[in-house]
Amino acid sequence: MNDIVHKGGVNHDDRNRPITRRFARHGYIGAVLLALREINRARLRFTLLSAAVGLLVFLILFQQALFGGLITGFIGAIENQNAPVLVYGEQSRRNIEASLIFPGIDEQVAGVDGVARSGPIGENTFTVDAGGERQDAAVFGYELGGLGAPTTVIEGRLPETDFEGVASADDAELGFDIGDTVSIVGEGSPSITIVGLAEDARWSVQATVFVSYATYVAAKQAVDPGGVVLPSLIAVEPADGVDAAELAGTITAEVDGVEALTRQAAVDGNPGVQAVNSSFGIILALAFMVVVLVVGFFFLILTVQKAKPLTLLRAVGAPPGYLVRNLMGQIVFVMVAGVLIGIALTLLVGTATTGGSIDVQLRPGEVLPTVGLLIALALVGGLASVRRLLRIDPIRATLDAGSSL
Amino acid sequence: MRLALLELLRRPGRFAVAGGALTLLTLLLLFLGALLDGLYLGSTGALRAQPDGVIVFSADARQSLLRSSATTDERDELAAVDGVERVGGLGITLLGVAIPGVDEISDGAIVGYELETERIPAPPAAGEAWVDRRMEAEGASIGDVVAVGPAEYPLTIAGWVDDSNFLGQNGIWVDPPTWRAVQNANRPDAQLADTDFLALVAEVAPGGDPAALAAAIDATTDGRTESLTRDDAARALPGVKEQNSTFNAIIGTTFFVVGLVVALFFALLTLERVGLYSVLKAFGTPSRTLVAGVAVQALAVAVISFGFGALFTWLLSLGIPPGVPVQFTIGRGITTFVGITVTAVLGGLISLRRIISVDPASAIGAGV
Repeated sequence: MNDIVHKGGVNHDDRNRPITRRFARHGYIGAVLLALREINRARLRFTLLSAAVGLLVFLILFQQALFGGLITGFIGAIENQNAPVLVYGEQSRRNIEASLIFPGIDEQVAGVDGVARSGPIGENTFTVDAGGERQDAAVFGYELGGLGAPTTVIEGRLPETDFEGVASADDAELGFDIGDTVSIVGEGSPSITIVGLAEDARWSVQATVFVSYATYVAAKQAVDPGGVVLPSLIAVEPADGVDAAELAGTITAEVDGVEALTRQAAVDGNPGVQAVNSSFGIILALAFMVVVLVVGFFFLILTVQKAKPLTLLRAVGAPPGYLVRNLMGQIVFVMVAGVLIGIALTLLVGTATTGGSIDVQLRPGEVLPTVGLLIALALVGGLASVRRLLRIDPIRATLDAGSSL
Repeated sequence: MRLALLELLRRPGRFAVAGGALTLLTLLLLFLGALLDGLYLGSTGALRAQPDGVIVFSADARQSLLRSSATTDERDELAAVDGVERVGGLGITLLGVAIPGVDEISDGAIVGYELETERIPAPPAAGEAWVDRRMEAEGASIGDVVAVGPAEYPLTIAGWVDDSNFLGQNGIWVDPPTWRAVQNANRPDAQLADTDFLALVAEVAPGGDPAALAAAIDATTDGRTESLTRDDAARALPGVKEQNSTFNAIIGTTFFVVGLVVALFFALLTLERVGLYSVLKAFGTPSRTLVAGVAVQALAVAVISFGFGALFTWLLSLGIPPGVPVQFTIGRGITTFVGITVTAVLGGLISLRRIISVDPASAIGAGV
């Protein structure tokens, strides 16, 4: 046991000190070295646990990445456009596809106090010919130079005339790259030339193109010749000093048949996003609980198995804090290894599992808090083992009953 | 085997790690499955309620019902195709629905149809509707007059139907003229003529093959149509394929974690028991008995954990917010049970090699 203590980090110069002070003086390094040595000698055991934790971490990170990708893929076009307030038809239940703005409403909205400017936005999914194939594409029409323009153009420029468009960058390779022509399948086959690419600008997980409102009207009339074309939304910009949320409330109260939302409220209130939010929240909470439970119980078993040596360590002067640090060091080691495995797996299987339709990305801003929380929760899960350690009575080492912790 | 069960009975605490983790994993799997089923069934009910056969879209619609168009004139052309039993029109419009006395607007999918099925009766009288029972939970009753869309078109609820929703919206089933009237009143941008539908439904003759019928119809119409079997049409709805592949990937990974947790647990337990196994072997117990004992314990832990997991899932379901589209089905429960037990037993058998390699001589200190 002395040998163990020595190798655990106690300096030979400390031989004359009382043994409890040696542990106290060199406890941190000693505990970590002891923890690492034990891990090295029980590689299979710790590899299995790290692999299990790694899979659980993968489960959490993958779901999180998927969740972020789903949300962005569903509502990126609304989140990343420049209108601070969006006005929906009241009965649409915040669903753009179901929203219609009837004639006269646009003027009423423009007349509300606090509105600096407003303009129509039209949205529809069309069958298009792009990249030599027939595909689906969402088309957003807005008044050029006005509200509803994409804000995340990463290449090229915004449209300057009719029949020019900015496409979602994720779909560039599918025939939506700069210089490509996208033709609406319908009478006259109006064609849109892509002049720019915007990041995170998809709608309903499909290729999305931002065009002038007149181009949108032409596209609608190509599939329904002679039909009436109405805006889906009204985009609104508040006057200087007017709060967007307050203005949205005023518009909803003053104009019959509409519901105005801030951009963020429109994102959060999208029917698909709401369902995904609540569902994934519950799934992630359950996955976090599984991690805590697996790690907690594993170290509890280890602690019980190591009852005799731990009692002996206490008997030769190791303070409880030394043993606790040893335990915590092992938990951190297992979690760090698990996190690395989890990140690697997520990067490996990412888009393959969703058929490439959802952009599965690990964003440091989301991964770091998750990893921190997981390690913190694992340490909390280790509290049951800490309690066991603190209950060790060194005198039991002389009774050959150290195992009964 | 008896020894294994006795250990489980007398030292249940020893199996708490695996049991607790498996209980939570069962909860996770059942919830994920319920979510997937809720999303799938809630999106596809209106199509699955059609007669067994094919849904015929216009070719340009790319299998999207809302972008497709058809007319009653095309029915005769389809009816003449060999293997077609009946042909009917189908149209759907998504609109908000105001239930009397309820402040919140409900989601509605107004379905105009012609063919009755086992799940959907013949179309009701003009101005009346069969409504999905989910709307009853939202405050609607038979006899209520609901106001549909911004034009507040009145429809009287004549009765309930089950599992008939479309893209998560409540199915509201009406006769074709009523459907057209509702759409024309509410969607000035998408007016319908008296003969218009969005798609046609061709029921396959008894004993016929829907996939073959789909091909025959498309050949007859010279590529003007794209026909899909009823199930393929359901899977072609926007987002359904992505949802299925994503959730199945998560469920598959979770099953893998189940196997790994059990493998980890029994690997540890085996390490702990090496001495005992050598004694048992020294007394003549064959390796297969010891392995069977581990398998039985893994099975028992999985079965008990599934029971607790199902109980906790039920408790969780009582507090799930209404916006979460979960649907618990017996089929999903059975699949999860089989998956958990099989994976757990396989995980437990990871210790097989270790058990077989235990040397009986080590019981007297002579092992290697």
